Amino acid sequence: MSDARIDSYARALLEIANAEGVLSEVEDELFRVARTYESNDQLRGTLTDETIPVERRQTIVEKLLGGRSTNVTAQLVSFIIGAGRARDLPAIADKLVQAASTQQGSEVAEVRSAVALSADQQQRVASALAAKTGRKINLKFVVDPSVMGGLVATVGDTVIDGSVRTRLDQLKSRL
Amino acid sequence: MKNLISLIAAEDPTQTHHWLLPETAEIIYGGLATVIVVTLLVKFAGPMVKKAMADRTAKIQSEIDNARESKTVADAEASKIRAALGDISAERSRILADADKQAEALLVEGRSRLEAEVRDMEAKAEADIAAAAARSGDELRAEIARLSAQAAERAVASALDDRAQQDLIESFISSVGAAR
Repeated sequence: MSDARIDSYARALLEIANAEGVLSEVEDELFRVARTYESNDQLRGTLTDETIPVERRQTIVEKLLGGRSTNVTAQLVSFIIGAGRARDLPAIADKLVQAASTQQGSEVAEVRSAVALSADQQQRVASALAAKTGRKINLKFVVDPSVMGGLVATVGDTVIDGSVRTRLDQLKSRL
Repeated sequence: MKNLISLIAAEDPTQTHHWLLPETAEIIYGGLATVIVVTLLVKFAGPMVKKAMADRTAKIQSEIDNARESKTVADAEASKIRAALGDISAERSRILADADKQAEALLVEGRSRLEAEVRDMEAKAEADIAAAAARSGDELRAEIARLSAQAAERAVASALDDRAQQDLIESFISSVGAAR
C-alpha cells in the first residue's frame, strides 16, 4: 500500500481512538498486535489468506483480542482485515503510534528484551531514555527471545544496544 | 698375254744365249710393254687410287675427328657427371649437416621448453599446495570459530537464568542513565 494510504488509515484510526478517548490504550495495543503479527507466521498467513472468507478472519481476530484488548482496538483490527489491508497492519499501527506520540509531544522508543520487564523496570527505562534523549518518551516494549538477554532500545534513528545477541554476534565476527 | 705365253712356250732354253736371261728383243718389248702398262696405270688408275686413298684418309681422319669429338663430349659429360656427383655429395653433406643442426636445435629447444614446463608445473603445484594449505587453514579456522561461537552461545544461553536477565536489564538501565 502507498504511504499516503497508510497515512490515511492511521489518521482515521487515530481519530476514532481519540473520539473514543482511548488513544493511549489503542496505540499501545495496536503496537503489540503489529509485533505479534510480524513474529507469528501462522497468524500472518491466516490473516492474509485470501481463500479464507473475510468474515472468518475477522472472527479469528476478534476472538484473539477479545478480553485482551479494548473493544475499540479489536474493532479497528477487524476493520483493517475487512478492508483487505491485513498486510499493512504493522505499517498502519506504527504510523498510528508515531502520530499519537507526535500528538502527545513525545518520541516513540521501542525496547526489545528477552524477558518481560516489571513495571518498575519499565518506568526506570523510560526515565533513563528520556534523560538521555531530553525528550518525553512513548515507550513500547516488545518481548523478543532472539535478544537472548539485555535490552535493545530504538529511539528514532538512535539504537542503544545492550543485548547479549549483539555481543555474541560481535564475538562471532572477531572469531 | 696369249702371245707372251706362246712366245715363252715356243722358246727353247737351250738355244738362247743364256738359260736364265730373256732375249734382247724380248727385254725391249717386255720393257716397253711394262712402261706402257705402268704409264697407263699411273695415268688412269693412279688418280683413282689417289682419290680412294685420299677419301679413305679423309674418312679415317673424319672418324678420328668424330671419335676425338665424341671423346671430348664424353669427357665433358664425364666431368659434368663427376661434378654433379661431387655436387650431390656436397649437397648430401650439407643437407645432413643442416639436418644435424636442426635436430640439435630442436633438441635444445625441446629440452628448454620441457624444462620450462616442468618448472611451471612445479611452481603451479607448489602454489596449489600452498593455496590448499591456506584454504584448509581458513576452513579449519572458520570451523573452529563457528564451533566456538556455538559453544559460546550455548554457554551464554545456559547461563542466562532469571537473575542474569535481571542483572542485564539493570545494567542497561544503569548504563543508559549514566550516559545522559
